[in-house]
Amino acid sequence: MVTLEDIADSSLLQKPSGQVAGGVLDRSESNYKSLHTFALEKDRPYQQQFADIYFLRLTKIKPAIEEIATTAWEGTVIGGETAKKVDRVLDVRQGELCWVTGTVYMDMPLKPNILEDVAKDRWISAPTSMQQYFSDDGRDAVMLEDDSGRIRLIGDVLKSFFMVTGCIIAVMGTENANGEFDVIDLKFADLAPQPERWELTEPKSSSVSTQQKKQANAKSNKDEDVEMSDGPSSSSGLGSKKIALVSGLEFSGEDTSYAMELNLLLEYLLGEALDPAAQKELAHISRLVVAGNSIAPEHKTTAEESAEKKAHKKYGYDSRSYNPIPSQLFDEFLSELLPTMPVTLLPGVLDPANSSYPQQPIHAAMLPKSRTYTAIPGTAESGWLDSVTNPWEAEVEGWRVLGTGGQNLDDVFKYVDSDDRLGMMEAMCRWRCSAPTAPDTLWSYPFQEDEPFVMKQCPHLYFVGSQPEFGTRIIEGPDGQVVRLILVPSFSATREIVLVDTETLDVSILKISAS
Amino acid sequence: MDDYKKFLTENVVAEDKVITYRLLSRALKINVNVAKQMLYDFHKTQNEKRPGVVHATYLVYGIKASTGAVSRSQNGADGDVEMASSMPDAESLAEVVPTFTLSLIPEEQLKDALADFEEVSSIHVYSVGPHPTKDMALLADVAQEVLTLNGADERKASGTIANSHVRQRERKGGASVAAAVAAKPALKPSVKPALKQEAKESKPSFFKPAPSSTSTSAPEPAPPKVKEEAKSAQQSAETEKAAPSAPAKKPTPALKRGGSGGIMQAFSKAATKVKKEATSQPATLSGDDSSVQPLSDDGEDDSEMPLPKRRNVTEMSQSKKMREEELRRMMEDDDEEEEQDEEEKAASEDEPIEEPPVEPEPPKEEPEVVTASSGGRRRGKRKIMRKKQIMDDDGYLVTIQEPGWESFSEDEVAAKPKPKVASSAAAPAPAAAKSKKSEPKGSQGNIMSFFSKK
Repeated sequence: MVTLEDIADSSLLQKPSGQVAGGVLDRSESNYKSLHTFALEKDRPYQQQFADIYFLRLTKIKPAIEEIATTAWEGTVIGGETAKKVDRVLDVRQGELCWVTGTVYMDMPLKPNILEDVAKDRWISAPTSMQQYFSDDGRDAVMLEDDSGRIRLIGDVLKSFFMVTGCIIAVMGTENANGEFDVIDLKFADLAPQPERWELTEPKSSSVSTQQKKQANAKSNKDEDVEMSDGPSSSSGLGSKKIALVSGLEFSGEDTSYAMELNLLLEYLLGEALDPAAQKELAHISRLVVAGNSIAPEHKTTAEESAEKKAHKKYGYDSRSYNPIPSQLFDEFLSELLPTMPVTLLPGVLDPANSSYPQQPIHAAMLPKSRTYTAIPGTAESGWLDSVTNPWEAEVEGWRVLGTGGQNLDDVFKYVDSDDRLGMMEAMCRWRCSAPTAPDTLWSYPFQEDEPFVMKQCPHLYFVGSQPEFGTRIIEGPDGQVVRLILVPSFSATREIVLVDTETLDVSILKISAS
Repeated sequence: MDDYKKFLTENVVAEDKVITYRLLSRALKINVNVAKQMLYDFHKTQNEKRPGVVHATYLVYGIKASTGAVSRSQNGADGDVEMASSMPDAESLAEVVPTFTLSLIPEEQLKDALADFEEVSSIHVYSVGPHPTKDMALLADVAQEVLTLNGADERKASGTIANSHVRQRERKGGASVAAAVAAKPALKPSVKPALKQEAKESKPSFFKPAPSSTSTSAPEPAPPKVKEEAKSAQQSAETEKAAPSAPAKKPTPALKRGGSGGIMQAFSKAATKVKKEATSQPATLSGDDSSVQPLSDDGEDDSEMPLPKRRNVTEMSQSKKMREEELRRMMEDDDEEEEQDEEEKAASEDEPIEEPPVEPEPPKEEPEVVTASSGGRRRGKRKIMRKKQIMDDDGYLVTIQEPGWESFSEDEVAAKPKPKVASSAAAPAPAAAKSKKSEPKGSQGNIMSFFSKK
């Protein structure tokens, strides 16, 4: 409860004193290294089969999961029978207690099925419009498969876990008379080993502090009575450095209902809004990460409009249907922001990038004003405006960060009858796979040599963009791994951005309202 | 100090505009925080005189009582579908997250809105306008207006948080203006000699995009090296004509072409180059390839170059107009300079200064065979270079130059070295037209004729 009297002595609700309050602040430096885990070759072929992804994923995760399974189940005696390890799904013998590792395949009638398309001679699959793949009538079946064969899994224990196509699990149980595998227990690979903080980059605190001190001195010389006592010293600066996560900015040519909020966001990040004390805090936001969906979806034109347009089509393309305003607005936003803050830009499902996972960086040509801040093509160094892949892995302030534009989680969400998106994020970490449903229902590049979705190393911070609601949780692994999970809400829907403290990985939200 | 009162009275009261603190700070080039105070003061004094004449909106930042304490974390409410985790109580880890609210509030609702706040850490006037603000989206238009006013200088003055670590790469062509602008103070004096040098020494490369300073390390003979003197003389005449006038007349189209390079590039390049190396040697045609920065084939813009050092952002946002103007002025200066130079040059035209020192000078030969000299006229043949266009095997048109003999007949005076150059230049058809045109201006030529030939 705040009343008008409480705020009456606010420094900015006074006559201008003629003094510049605050002076010029300098923003904290961002220690940052983008890893190119998900970058694809420019001249990649698309002829190969998708099966290799599953094979690679299984071979990569199997050793870890077998180790866990062996420690858990070795020597387990149930009903006078000792559990044995079986190498291949096909080697499971009826009635024998055993455990086996394989890839989950969800057989769901509502799930789009490539075999159906092929059978019906449809060769171009439309993007799925399905909200959910699971059905309540029990027609869904869980299969475990590897390169040898496939077996249907049954048992109540399955219901207590999230289960999606493509995740790797180990199951213990017996095959029953129907040829189904009755699961008694089930294991995941659990969190991957977590790197130390500052594994790849070095904290640049010393250089920063001297530089900032110099500036503080220079400043205080200039406008004497300001800033003398508490200049932006590096110690306090490092203590509360933050990164801002935002998703779903959805710059739109038509919908201006949140244009003012976007402006306020810009003013906030620029450090022009608020009073000097708050501005000092804002100067510690060292980086903005845009987690997908920066450009609003195009509104569907009505049928008659499109019919009329058809007449003017040339080369099968109607140039009038292209609206450049959203990307122009986004470009403007970025170019305003970039002089003061480095930006990492992930593509999302709505952005002008390829649609299959992993999405490659939004091309700089889309952002003519901001592109001067991008890295020189072909250099390994991250640009000031770092247009990156989705998913994206990096080391920010020493923390390993994994982020996605949201498609991976949205697709997992369709498999399970639950709203617990954080739980699904956690499950992905424990499966050690950031996009398990690729390539089944999440379109993906047909990888041949490497399967980058496998989490070889456990991130410290894992965020997923374009989510309906904010959420955060800390999960812990068996070897002391700690992961901060964040659901980054869509700004256009919630007007919220997420601020992450880079020392403690604590999270706070900024909600912007203009109405 | 009272500027702002005048400004605000004019805009808000008289012109019915909404003024935000950002717009005010841009308009008066003052710090945003001062602008906020000015808006407050203006709002207060105006309403004291006549209540309701101006209306303000406030920007409030703080923690709202309702949302601040609520757990914003999702948790799996459905007990039956739960992720088993090694932690016994994953759900209990759902966190209470501090939520800050940044609210834009019309003054009419300020009291009510403040009541929702548990703590207000910052509040200031966001805008003042002549009417109560109903639709906040209208303010977005004002914000858009700010963008157009937001140059680098304004940004500094307004107190935007600076970032000393900003990295930006220079762009050749279209945006190399940044470089041009950056070099502005040094540019004017240094460019004149640069251009002169270019014109004299490296005529062919002058018209090629992006001759770079690296080419100096590996000077290769220019294509026309086998040329006889007559031809080189002719060409130098041509170049002199074209060179100075080209920039003067052409800058606008060249700029429009953006990053594609061309004459503008040659100029901006030359400027920086000479600045760097006083002893700049001519860039040559064949030096081009080696000098262009490494090409990448990934479709990214190759015409962009890394900045040698961090560039101040302020320089980047100079308007295009200013750059053009700057260049034009530069070129004009150069024009005059060139004219003077022309006169000097004319005196010593036949000296082989055109050729770079490293380049092996082709053995001089007497190109003229005077067969008759009577009645004040000389007749004879002389060797010239003819341009010939042929279609090669691949169907491309190729222009080659080949030596040939041409008979002439001219006044005796022409025997003197100096006029000879002029006349020999006049001999081939295209050049003749040019020299005629350029006569009033010394050997200055019209740039258009040069370009139309291509």
